[in-house]
Amino acid sequence: MKTVRIGFSRRTGRAMVVGLVAVSLFAACSSDADSSTSDGDSSSTATGAPTSDAPSTDAPAKQGGTIVIGAEQEPDCLDWIATCAGSIWGSYMMQITTIPVVFNVRQSGDDWLPALSSIMASEPVVTAGPPQTVTYTLRSDVTWSDGEPITSADLKYTALQIRDGEDILDKTGYNLIDDIATPDAQTAVVTFTAPYAGWKTLFSGSSGVLPSHILEGNDRAALMKDGYSWSGGPWIIESWKKGESVTLVPNTNYWGDKPKLDKVIFQFTADTAAAFQAFNSGQLDALYPSPQLDAIEQIKAGLSGANVEVQAASGNLEALWLNNASPGLDAQPVRAALAYSIDRAAIVNKVYGPLGVEQPAQSFFPPILSAFGGQDFDVYVRDLDKVTSLMTGDGWAKNGDGLWAKGDVVASYRITTIAGNKRRELMQQVLQEQLNEAGFGVTVANASPADLFGTLGPNGDFDLGLWTLVTTFPDPGLSYAFDSANVPSEANEFSGLNLTRTNVAGLDDLLRQVDVEVDEAARLAATQKIDQLIAESVTSLPLAAVPNILLTAEKIGGSTSINPSEGPFWNLEQWALVG
Amino acid sequence: MLRFATRRLVRSVPVLFVGSFLLFLAVRSAFDPLSKLRQLRDPEVIQRETERLGLDRSVPVQYMKWLKGFVTGDWGVSVRTSGDVRPMISDALVVTLQLLVPALILATVAAIAVGVYSALRQYSVGDHVLTALAYIGLAMPAFWFGLVLIQTLAIWPQRALDLEEPPLYFVGLHSPGQPHSLLDTARHLVLPVLTLTVGLVASWSRFMRSSMLGALSSDYVRTARAKGVPRRQVVVNHALRNSWGPLMTVVALDAALLVGGLLITEQVFSIPGMGRLFLTSLLAGDVSVLLPWMFVTGIAVITFNLLADIGYGLLDPRVRL
Repeated sequence: MKTVRIGFSRRTGRAMVVGLVAVSLFAACSSDADSSTSDGDSSSTATGAPTSDAPSTDAPAKQGGTIVIGAEQEPDCLDWIATCAGSIWGSYMMQITTIPVVFNVRQSGDDWLPALSSIMASEPVVTAGPPQTVTYTLRSDVTWSDGEPITSADLKYTALQIRDGEDILDKTGYNLIDDIATPDAQTAVVTFTAPYAGWKTLFSGSSGVLPSHILEGNDRAALMKDGYSWSGGPWIIESWKKGESVTLVPNTNYWGDKPKLDKVIFQFTADTAAAFQAFNSGQLDALYPSPQLDAIEQIKAGLSGANVEVQAASGNLEALWLNNASPGLDAQPVRAALAYSIDRAAIVNKVYGPLGVEQPAQSFFPPILSAFGGQDFDVYVRDLDKVTSLMTGDGWAKNGDGLWAKGDVVASYRITTIAGNKRRELMQQVLQEQLNEAGFGVTVANASPADLFGTLGPNGDFDLGLWTLVTTFPDPGLSYAFDSANVPSEANEFSGLNLTRTNVAGLDDLLRQVDVEVDEAARLAATQKIDQLIAESVTSLPLAAVPNILLTAEKIGGSTSINPSEGPFWNLEQWALVG
Repeated sequence: MLRFATRRLVRSVPVLFVGSFLLFLAVRSAFDPLSKLRQLRDPEVIQRETERLGLDRSVPVQYMKWLKGFVTGDWGVSVRTSGDVRPMISDALVVTLQLLVPALILATVAAIAVGVYSALRQYSVGDHVLTALAYIGLAMPAFWFGLVLIQTLAIWPQRALDLEEPPLYFVGLHSPGQPHSLLDTARHLVLPVLTLTVGLVASWSRFMRSSMLGALSSDYVRTARAKGVPRRQVVVNHALRNSWGPLMTVVALDAALLVGGLLITEQVFSIPGMGRLFLTSLLAGDVSVLLPWMFVTGIAVITFNLLADIGYGLLDPRVRL
């Protein structure tokens, strides 16, 4: 299963909001990890590594009470494995809180890694094969909200629904399942048709485990899309009033720690400015805003009586994507010159500086996957002499307009992003200015998400692109975006997501090795080589991890923090009223 | 009168028919019903949906199929939510009407009052003040005015009076998790209705003033005054009655457009009405919602025009000829 998305790749809604929905905390760099500042009446914490038990307040937590959280998006449907389930907010609010998974994502040191969930009795046993098999052993005392046990039949049902179903959001990994045996109620053995290194994404991330005793033999989509009354998590969906709100109440049959709050209401707030005013007025008790400019400005201005948590160690990586097939950009020296033309630190500072994020990303593995990447892009700092040297060395000279030209080709490029995204438009302006100074012409050619990712990207009808790579599960596969076999073409029925037409000698083999290598050490070595190779060939340029921001009222305590993979409500059962 | 209304109603049918076909053409040429599915890059899914939606047939055939479905209540399934389109639109319409009806009533009453006052006291201080306010109202963007109202009528009073919650709410139409009550709904409605009303009053009051001035300077008013009819009676029975007609047309046209045009107000106040439904569907390229949405707003335009014509006919018997 691919867990990383380009822009809106698979989960359309999520993607459109692309990086939009980037949330949480900043703290990106380790040097900032322990810093904490106070600004007026609000407290602000910058952290790269929030922990599940980090209290946001010293006041004692109460049992009971209701809180209202502002939600800036409404999901389209709750049938999580279907194509209509594309909203990251839907996942944050109702999937994470009600659907059990095999692996959660939890912090381990500085890294966010798959961690065995509480429904599992032991670590799955993997045999490399061939054929590769994974044996899952469930606990016998974990149940759905109706008291029925969570069993291997649920794993089998989920796997087959995804593998064989229609209108499925993401079949990655499941399409490699040959067979799933259930020798007993607690054991499931999955046999693959081909090696699959990302097996930990199965029954985790965007799919989870579905209750076969309720859904099997019925129309799953019909039973789930408008909401469901069962749960395998700490919360139950009490109601979903379309356009208005979602209400969660505790699952009294949950086997783990029970929620402290009696009720959590997510109220849909479409307008950021109004949402902040509602937060200030106490109508909303928490916000998880996209780090758009207006939200950043509001935070910069100070929020009365609020805890502000900003985290840069997110799974969202904003990058300048280069179409490696565009005239000029098909040559490594030109791409490198472009990289040396850009002051990435200045851009990051301008956009995210108010949140304390100042350092650009130096790898295509986002912070959530930092263990797999390196710092290979750190050589690309603005150096106009180097630009001149690279361009002239490749046979380019400046024309009368001051732009680099070689024969009939002028180094003038369109830069495309999602229209209306003010943060990216600001980035475009800065890029335009910097690249113009370096002798590159840049014109803005923005498009709707559907056009960008549905037409322009697959057809290669762009030169430079600004969008975000969204990682929702810490698995380091990058082949979907950089393997030459995934360049959209008739051969792959235009299903490839290598929109940049990256084709670097030796890279494909490494990417494919990461996809199938079960040995973690060998996999790590391969990912680091990948990062190095991408940086050397400058197929694209990482800009910044998009920080996540969580605002909570002072009355909320217990334990609030952002999980860069599962969002800010991953431990909602630990939230409580205080004081 | 009945014959007049029937005649206008019958004339509306071909207008609706032609209008719906043009809408269908426009939407089908501007949007790809499968745009979201194409992002999945699954040719089998694309093929299946193409056949299911009849996209491989000619446009007139597609239109007739769609129209038949619409008339029989089968408005299709949303590409975005996989839910039935009809309840989506009817729910949104009800919400919008909750906002629109009080705003229209308030705005009409206020516009008539302001317009009549300004016309009767032309170039007075009061007229100048109201004229200035009207221009300010016209110049203010709804989203900005909405935020100003939130700040001045909700946030500041809350802080000044040290209240636990603002006296007026500005998120949604109901407090979530609480039983619906008239007071709660009213506290949610005041700010969006006011936001909407101010813009309408600003525009309509100018229209009413102009219309009233025209009536006051007309021969029949002069004649009535010359015959000794009391001023109040002249104003109410002659001038005002003749000024209502044009205003009614403007109100009807604006009301029809507002059925689908409250996008900004609904966005600022997080109200799940027709405007937000349109925006969400537009961004998702959800043709299955956009088409009936436009058809419904088209019906609203024709219906309100019809009502305006009937009203005009009631006020002025000459138009029934």
